[in-house]
Amino acid sequence: MIVVALPARPHGRYGGSVTHQAVRDEERADDVIARLAARLVAGDPTSLAEVYDRWSALVHTFALRSLGRAEDAEDITQQVFIAAWGSRATLTPSSRALPAWLLGIARHKVADRLGERAREVRRLEAAAVGVVEEVPDGLDLLDRLTIRQFVLELPEPRGTIVRLAFWEDLTHSQIAKRTGLPLGTIKSHVRRGLRQLHERLEEVRDDAR
Amino acid sequence: MHADPDDIAALAFDPGGASHGVVRDHVRSCSSCQSLQVSLASVARGLRESADDGPLVAPPDDVRRRVLAAAMSDPGVSEPTSPLETTAEEPATVLPMGPARARLRGVPLWAAGLAAAVTLVAGLGIGRMTVDPETPAGPPVDVVASTDLTSLEGAEPRGLASAVRTGGADRAGDVVTLRIDADALGGQEGIREVWLLNVDGTRLIAVGLLTAGDEGEFEVPESLLDAGYRIVDISVEPDDGDPTHSGVSLARGELV
Repeated sequence: MIVVALPARPHGRYGGSVTHQAVRDEERADDVIARLAARLVAGDPTSLAEVYDRWSALVHTFALRSLGRAEDAEDITQQVFIAAWGSRATLTPSSRALPAWLLGIARHKVADRLGERAREVRRLEAAAVGVVEEVPDGLDLLDRLTIRQFVLELPEPRGTIVRLAFWEDLTHSQIAKRTGLPLGTIKSHVRRGLRQLHERLEEVRDDAR
Repeated sequence: MHADPDDIAALAFDPGGASHGVVRDHVRSCSSCQSLQVSLASVARGLRESADDGPLVAPPDDVRRRVLAAAMSDPGVSEPTSPLETTAEEPATVLPMGPARARLRGVPLWAAGLAAAVTLVAGLGIGRMTVDPETPAGPPVDVVASTDLTSLEGAEPRGLASAVRTGGADRAGDVVTLRIDADALGGQEGIREVWLLNVDGTRLIAVGLLTAGDEGEFEVPESLLDAGYRIVDISVEPDDGDPTHSGVSLARGELV
C-alpha cells in the first residue's frame, strides 16, 4: 500500500507547437475545474479547500479594495466561501459556471456589506465612499482583478507574451526578441490571448451580475 | 461576410495600426463585428489597466482554517440515520452492528453529512447482503461497515462496498475484508483502482486493483477504518506509470 496526497496528477509540461499546445492546455485546465465543480456539488470537502486555494486571493483582493478595511475583507472572504459550500447544490458542475458563480457570490456579499455600512451611517455620501465602480462600457474592479487572475492562469508561452504586450507595453518585435519566438507566433498569441480572455470574462460576467 | 475575429482582435489591440485598413472599414459597416471590436477593445483596456492593480493579495491563513472548519461543522447537515435504527425494522438483520455505530459517533458532522445520503440505503444494503437465501453456508460473516457506491456527479447507484470480518480461526484480530461489488462503472478505458480516502479529506491509500470485472476483495487492517480511512473510492487510472490517484473517480461511498 502507498500513501499519497490528494489531488494527484501534476500539470503537463509544455512543448511542441505552441499555439495548439496552448489550446490543449486550456482544455485540460477546463477539465480540472469541471471535475473540481463536480466534486463540490457532490459535497466532497476536499474540493472546498481547492476552490479556496484557487480563488481566495481574487475574492479577498476584491473585498479589500472595495471595502478598504482588512478585517472586513477577511470577513467577507470567509463568508463567500462558506456561502459557496452551503449553496453548492445550486451550482451547475461545469468549468465555466464555477468561477462565475463564485464571483457572483463575492459581488453580492461586498454589495451587501456596502449597503449595511450605508444604513449604519445613515448618510448616502457614506455609501459613495466605497461603492462598487459602475463603468457601463468599461471593466469594473472585479472584472479587472478577474482578468488579472486569468492572465496568470494562461498557459506558457501565451501568458508571458500577453503580460509583455499588455502590462509592459512592449511591441511585438520587442517581445519576439525577448522570447526568441518568431514574430508571427507573437502576433498570433496576442490576438488569441485577447480573444480568450474576452470569452472567459464574458462567461463570468453573465453570471456574476 | 464577417471579418476574422483574430483580425478584429489585432485592431482592438492596436486601433491605430496601419495594416488594419480593410478590417477597420468592415467594422465600421458591420454592427456585429463592431460590437465585438468594442468589447475586445474594452477587455484590452482593462487588461492594460490591470497592470496598475498590482498583485492579488491572499487572505491570512487563519481565514482558510475558519472556512474549512465552518464547512465541516455545517449546521445544515443533519445527523445521518443510524444503521441500527434502519435495520431494526428488518427482523432478519440481527447482526452485531455495534462497531459501526461506535465509529459513527466519532465522525465529524460534515463527514456524517457526506454519508447521510447513502446511510439509509446502506442499511438496506446490509440487509440484502446478509439475508440473501442464496448465499452458500460458510463461516459466519460479520459486516463491520458498508455503503452504497454512487457516482460523484449525479449520485447514481454504482453498487456496494462492505467491510466484513470473516469468522475463520486463523484470522488475526485486525483484519477485515473490503468487498467491492460495483455496478455500472461505465466503459472508460483504463485500470480500475480501489482507494480508501480518509474522512479528513487530505489522505488516501491505494488498496488494490479491480481485476475481475466489477468485483474484488481486499484485506485491510481494521485499524485503518478506525483511523478515518472509510471513504471507498474507485478510480480509473491511465497506464502511465504514475502511482498517484488520477483524479477521475467512477464511484464513491463512505463506510458506516
